[in-house]
Amino acid sequence: MPSTCSTQRSSIYAPRLCRLLEVSDLTPQEKLFRLQLEDGSVLNHQPGQFVQVSIPGLTEAPISVASSPSRNGYFELGVRKAGSLTGAMHLLQPGATIGIRGPFGRPFQIDALRKRHLILLAGGCGLAPLRSLIQYCQDYPEQFGTIDILYGARSPQDLLFKDDLLQWRLSACFSCTYTVDNDPADSCYDGETGLITRLLPKLQIAPADTCAVVVGPPPMYRPVIEALHDKGLPSDRIMLSLERNMRCGIGKCGHCTIEHLYCCSDGPIFWLNEVEHLRGAL
Amino acid sequence: MKHMQRAELDSLLTHVAQSYRLLVPQRLEDGTRLLRPWGEGELVLSGEPVQRKPTEYFLPQLDPLLKIDTAGGVQLATVPETPLCLFGLNRADLQCLGFVDRFCAFPPQDDAYAVKRQNGLLIGLTGYCGPDGQLLPLTDGRCDIELIALADGWLAQAFTDIGSALLAEFNDIDPETLGTIRSLSEKRIAEERATLEQAARIVQQELVPDDFWREIGDRCILCSGCNLVCPTCTCFCVQDRTDQGGTERSRVWDSCQFDGFMREASGHNPLGSEALRTRRRIHHKLAADVERWGEISCFLCGRCDKTCPTGIGIQAVAAEIVKRFSTN
Ligand SMILES: Cc1cc2nc3c(=O)[nH]c(=O)nc-3n(C[C@H](O)[C@H](O)[C@H](O)COP(=O)(O)OP(=O)(O)OC[C@H]3O[C@@H](n4cnc5c(N)ncnc54)[C@H](O)[C@@H]3O)c2cc1C
Ligand code: SF4
Ligand code: SF4
Ligand code: FES
Repeated sequence: MPSTCSTQRSSIYAPRLCRLLEVSDLTPQEKLFRLQLEDGSVLNHQPGQFVQVSIPGLTEAPISVASSPSRNGYFELGVRKAGSLTGAMHLLQPGATIGIRGPFGRPFQIDALRKRHLILLAGGCGLAPLRSLIQYCQDYPEQFGTIDILYGARSPQDLLFKDDLLQWRLSACFSCTYTVDNDPADSCYDGETGLITRLLPKLQIAPADTCAVVVGPPPMYRPVIEALHDKGLPSDRIMLSLERNMRCGIGKCGHCTIEHLYCCSDGPIFWLNEVEHLRGAL
Repeated sequence: MKHMQRAELDSLLTHVAQSYRLLVPQRLEDGTRLLRPWGEGELVLSGEPVQRKPTEYFLPQLDPLLKIDTAGGVQLATVPETPLCLFGLNRADLQCLGFVDRFCAFPPQDDAYAVKRQNGLLIGLTGYCGPDGQLLPLTDGRCDIELIALADGWLAQAFTDIGSALLAEFNDIDPETLGTIRSLSEKRIAEERATLEQAARIVQQELVPDDFWREIGDRCILCSGCNLVCPTCTCFCVQDRTDQGGTERSRVWDSCQFDGFMREASGHNPLGSEALRTRRRIHHKLAADVERWGEISCFLCGRCDKTCPTGIGIQAVAAEIVKRFSTN
């Protein structure tokens, strides 16, 4: 006689409740949300992983965790207002609840980064996932070599995490440089001007001892990779985070495939040599 | 190996129906065969493959996943407690189901699929029971029981413990009775698959130029039929429906032939042209899934070629690929 199915099963599709502790503006389009799981448990993520944010009525959207697991008691999401769900998130006030599933995805391969000189490079919104790694490096400086943070945004107003950037610039852990594409009208701006690729030739790199981590919008990857290759850095020491349309986050819905790979579960973090030969990956 | 006559077959099904929701092939007015509840109509033991894909019982077009109440509490969708038995599936449909079983079981297990599929029973029907009594190739064992139609009844073999237990009471027969069916069946399969496998090798070697995908893509009217009828197509999107009581979250079948399938909020679209989406439809089955799962994920069930209004189902495209780009 076949056994009956339990309705008390747990489900990979069931969101868990989180409470919003703080909301702060990063730019006019981006906000930072500080959250805690309602049941008091720890998210248990690793830098580079993402969660599926769930808002009833608006389904779900994948958002990277922007804080390091070494920052206890909360996790943060940096969210750009891009459509319905992210738009609704921007209206939330502290005390509100949202659902999350996850953490999902393959994280940054921190073991491979240990003891190396790191180039952590982000464009635009890409600083949100990279920030979790930067914070991790900041909390465990003894594990890593020297660290260059390079960040590019469209304009001074578009720079994310301005307080962090300032702090990283002053920190002994990092050398932090940022640049904006367009000549700023804002006289307070004290960073560089020009595309992010302009920052790379100036770097001192010992290729055998260096790893680069690159997170940014799709058009950024090719020029940045070319510049890193020019510096002698091979593809198996360049890590990327790739973005795709994601509905499930766990390798089932099929929206995120890159040939035979599922970006949500085989990635979103890949070594460049794992994907550079795959059609449409970059 | 067992042997049974019609009365014994009926007795097997009656027995199965005590513990399972048993669906069996029945004929509609227009001649098509469908799986319908046992006892509600006449059992039709030969003919065209059943029209609808058998995977839809476990991954239906609209698949309620859960309800979220206004306080954020989650209630998972319930499923009938009695498991399903599908009777009368052919080799290709059973292979498709086996493929999807494996896909859904890959960690993390798709519990919404598993809860409907678990404890289910699959009974294949092969042998001389195709249209006009043609030979349907034997299964590759991806079922609990296989019935093989002969001129004078059915041979029955079990592939699982549950299958063996269900067949225990029937008369044993010398497996030699199968005679030439196995070799005839293997020959049929090899013939049917030759073109597909050759096309797969060509696609895997990237020997198909983009112009070809564009040409096929230009012929596609984006009806999504090929995906929706395919038993190994499992892509879905998620939808919410909200009323006073809360929100019901479901998954719904999706099609990689739609422009929005991969488009991201930023506008970036890795499948931003008809040509790329057509390539994806074919490449995914013939190359990507081979790389990932070790087998071509088309088992030639025939549905997409039958459904496509413009004649570019997978067998048609495979034949064209072989004709134009074969190097030997
Ligand atoms: C791994 C990953 C990490 C991300 N991290 C961040 C982050 O830290 N901060 C941030 O602001 N954005 C991030 N994004 C992008 C973010 O997921 C989209 O901006 C968001 O899905 C838009 O949802 P929406 O409902 O507001 O937009 P709408 O345009 O109204 O709806 C788009 C719908 O498409 C689906 N979708 C799934 N993935 C994407 C995608 N990548 N782009 C667009 N639509 C998608 C969602 O179901 C979403 O509901 C990330 C994307 C991925 C894949
Ligand atoms: S014949 Fe078409 S519908 Fe059937 S398994 Fe192959 S691709 Fe899918
Ligand atoms: S069935 Fe044919 S016309 Fe319809 S989407 Fe598929 S390939 Fe295009
Ligand atoms: S997001 Fe669903 S398969 Fe990757």
